Amino acid sequence: MSKSFHPDQEFSRRMLMAGVGGGVVWAGLVARLFQLQILEGKKYDQLANENHIKLELAPPQRGRILDRFGKPLASHRRAGRVTVIPEQLKDPAATIAAIGNYIDLSETQVQRVLEDIRRARIRRAAFLPVIVANELSYEDFARMNVHAVEMPGVQVEMALTRSYPRGRDFAHVLGYVARASQDDLERLTEGKTADEATTIERMFRHPDMRTGRQGMERFAEEWLRGKPGFKKLVTNAAGRVIDQIPDERLAPEAGKDLFVTIDMDLQRVAIERFEGESGAAVVVDIESGDVLAMVSTPAFDPNDFVNGISGTDYAALRDDSRAPLYPRAHGGVYPPGSTFKMVVATAALETGAIKPTDKVHCNGYYHFGNRTWHCWKKGGHGTVDLHGGIKGSCDVYFYEIARRAGAQAIADTAHKFGFGQAWTLGMTGARSGLVPDPEWKLRVRKEPWYEGETLNFGIGQGQLGVTPLQLALMTARIATEGHSLKPNLIGLGPKDPDEHVLDAHLDAEIMKLMKSGMYGVTSEWGGTAYSSGDLGLGGPRLAGKTGTAQVRRITAAERASGIRKGEDIQRELRDHALFVAYAPADNPKYAISVIVEHGEGGSRTAGPVARDILAHAIRTNSGRKPAWTKSASISPSDDEGTPT
Amino acid sequence: MSHEGGFSGFSRGEARTRTAKTLNFDGSSSGILGKLSRLPWGFILLIVAMALIGIAMLYSSTYTNPAEQQLWKLQLIRFIICFGIMIVLALLPLSWWMNLSWLAYVGTIVLLLAVEFFGVMGGGAQRWLKIGPVAVQPSEFAKLAVTLALARYYHGMLGVNGSRFFIHIGAAVIILIPAALVFLQPDLGTALAIVASGGVVVFLAGLSGRVILAGITAAAAAVWPVYQFVLEPYQRGRVDTFLAQLFGSSGASTSLGESYQIEQAKIAIGAGGLNGKGWLQGIQSQQDYVPEQHTDFILTVIAEEFGFLGATAILVGFAILLGWSLYTAFQSASNFGRYAVAGATATVAFYVVFNVAMVLGLLPVVGMPLPLISYGGTAMLTAMSCFGLILSAYLHRDDKLNTTGLF
Repeated sequence: MSKSFHPDQEFSRRMLMAGVGGGVVWAGLVARLFQLQILEGKKYDQLANENHIKLELAPPQRGRILDRFGKPLASHRRAGRVTVIPEQLKDPAATIAAIGNYIDLSETQVQRVLEDIRRARIRRAAFLPVIVANELSYEDFARMNVHAVEMPGVQVEMALTRSYPRGRDFAHVLGYVARASQDDLERLTEGKTADEATTIERMFRHPDMRTGRQGMERFAEEWLRGKPGFKKLVTNAAGRVIDQIPDERLAPEAGKDLFVTIDMDLQRVAIERFEGESGAAVVVDIESGDVLAMVSTPAFDPNDFVNGISGTDYAALRDDSRAPLYPRAHGGVYPPGSTFKMVVATAALETGAIKPTDKVHCNGYYHFGNRTWHCWKKGGHGTVDLHGGIKGSCDVYFYEIARRAGAQAIADTAHKFGFGQAWTLGMTGARSGLVPDPEWKLRVRKEPWYEGETLNFGIGQGQLGVTPLQLALMTARIATEGHSLKPNLIGLGPKDPDEHVLDAHLDAEIMKLMKSGMYGVTSEWGGTAYSSGDLGLGGPRLAGKTGTAQVRRITAAERASGIRKGEDIQRELRDHALFVAYAPADNPKYAISVIVEHGEGGSRTAGPVARDILAHAIRTNSGRKPAWTKSASISPSDDEGTPT
Repeated sequence: MSHEGGFSGFSRGEARTRTAKTLNFDGSSSGILGKLSRLPWGFILLIVAMALIGIAMLYSSTYTNPAEQQLWKLQLIRFIICFGIMIVLALLPLSWWMNLSWLAYVGTIVLLLAVEFFGVMGGGAQRWLKIGPVAVQPSEFAKLAVTLALARYYHGMLGVNGSRFFIHIGAAVIILIPAALVFLQPDLGTALAIVASGGVVVFLAGLSGRVILAGITAAAAAVWPVYQFVLEPYQRGRVDTFLAQLFGSSGASTSLGESYQIEQAKIAIGAGGLNGKGWLQGIQSQQDYVPEQHTDFILTVIAEEFGFLGATAILVGFAILLGWSLYTAFQSASNFGRYAVAGATATVAFYVVFNVAMVLGLLPVVGMPLPLISYGGTAMLTAMSCFGLILSAYLHRDDKLNTTGLF
């Protein structure tokens, strides 16, 4: 009977069991909460943060390039743009097409973007933004900003873009920046460890990163670049960035500003003074060696290169007969013509081949061997000594003294003035020119040196090739009476690349004779540039030397092939006009060299240009104390302008 | 009075009746006002509090989304309506419940069949039935209907037959017909919930331990064949994902599909820590990382924004509601009252257990809302009806309902 069923009892018993069972389950659930929230809470908290905080590489802001008074030559400009994050796009083609509904995208642009997206995926860099359109107009920017919200993976942002506010003026000095190409990457990672190389490659994949492709931008790459950091971005589940968390420790380190020695205003005045003619001018501060102007005109606009220049635009620049890509000032090699005569005279005096008072009679021609060599002045200069020879630029005098000094002595002296030497000063494209000598000719041309060549050498023609920069340096060394003056272009920046060339040793007495001759050129009756001597400043004069560089004759074949247009042929047949000078003549501060291509006469075209540039330099005191010596107080504004 | 097998005390109903009579509490007990005054208002207040917490959490998880911003108001209106229904149900005499049990059961079966033939697809399964402007899920009503039918069945059978084995076969049929129909929709979670809460009632009705043991063995043996041959591929996928994350295999870190949901839910819960990040401050919750966050996964919002303390408080709240309900079953004088309350309690309890275990990654993802708290009308109505039934049983706990026989 005791085993009989008692519903009430049994119900109570089972109820208790059920209650206990429920309690156990409840306790299990609370235990699980405890495990997840208390024991493993930190891990999940971190995961939650990682979930919504994305570290994105933040490119450093590139340092600016400033002129000697702190005015920006290369800085930044804000520009609106549209980017996409490839990994967040379900259908890239559809997304790009959707963007095309709001802003103008050409078919080639669309294809390029899709190709970029495809490549980013292959390179496993799909987390990095790909630029769809740059330099948005204000209307496009506003419109995209509204609609991007509906398009996952599409970002509309303001970005800093490298900008060259002076456009063409400094193209050959500064060069330009561009997206790093494969070649650039190889160059940038050369000599780095594998880790460093990886970091550099990753950094340069960022669409905002640029690397100096040419000029100072390239030379000073590491100085200007800075160190990349990270942005902490808050994203939602769709991957859209909804906020940014500031974190000082992760901020990129901006690149350092670089000062160049150039006076921006002087450069502008100099370019204007060329009045559209092509040519080059280099102004050197005699005391410091600072290059105050470095003109090569015409030039290209480096702003066109920052976001990549189109093939057709580049071809147009490359094929332009006036060669805007050609860095004439430091990479243009010209025969110096008569401006070289100071070198020849110095060589003759140094070797003792002549004395300053030795006289040579010029009746317009000079017999040597079985040839007759002409003086530029029909009828001749009569009897001239050193001073008269320089003043009148008497070719016969220099044939004679060159022959007496010998080619080797002239070549040696030319090296002491800085010829035959590439002065990069931190730029790309610098060339050394050529100072020929018998040994060189035997080695390269496999021919002996003919003495007739020495005569040509004596008037700065023949194989001899120099750059305007070298001519300015020569002039400065004369003006300082032989100081081992060294040109600089970098005021505050990376170490000077040309430090090894400092060994000029020129005799002060001889230099005084050169100066006297150059003063005669501009300031004495019979000087070849008598009309250019007065700076127009009510006193100070300049001392200088004219020159004419013979232009290689255009061949009949070139003429027949019709590559060059008729007017170009006429123009290109004309000689280059050269002028070197320093001023003030009695207390030199600035040295200059000017070449006006196809300007024919040094005194007629190049002289006045040099005079006006020097006058401006003196009037505005271009060589005054530069900004980097008090750089702490210099901080010109960062950006110019807003997007248009 | 002699008792076989020692003193077994009064039957619970008797004891209660005597106490009440002694204290002379039943003076005005039959009027509506009297009934209202005798409602357990602490219990009701707790229900209201839980629902309001649910609405606050709903607001937190939806207010940033313009399309969902207004849901909390809708949910509040639903709760008010369901609250009214609960009170009305609470006032119904228990005998009415009993007399309507079979009707409700048959009606539900008809609705389930209607879903099978005329139902609307939603979320990959045919669960919804449109009646005029209202879309209902008959599978939700099935839980309450099975409970009522079982209680009615045992009420009629136990008194006559005692707990013999064969009577439980009838109970199994009552459970399995609607469970099979729900399973075919397919809605595995609800089907399991019906079987589970029905099973609890059968257990309470005294099914012998040996049978239970045999049943458990058979169920364990059936796991693999069911997995292999009965489950739909998507259901199998859920189970796979669940096992993968439970045992920490590599599949857990993928950010797609089911595993993504579980993973994000765990991150949200874990990130809450002890105190949580504060209301509207949850990282995961505010940025829509967890799918279905305002419905089935609402607990992740609570856990992230109010931490371990908040989530535990919700569980404690349910424990109090369910514990008090069990006590009500214990106090009931009638078998119908006991089993109906026990079944309703089990129904709500399984809702909670399945939902919480799923959200915590202890069970595969089955579509199961958290009663009172998750967004959604049908589940709210089911839960509030269950509480209405429990309250009615409480008010009429002394009612012996001396009906014998099944009808």
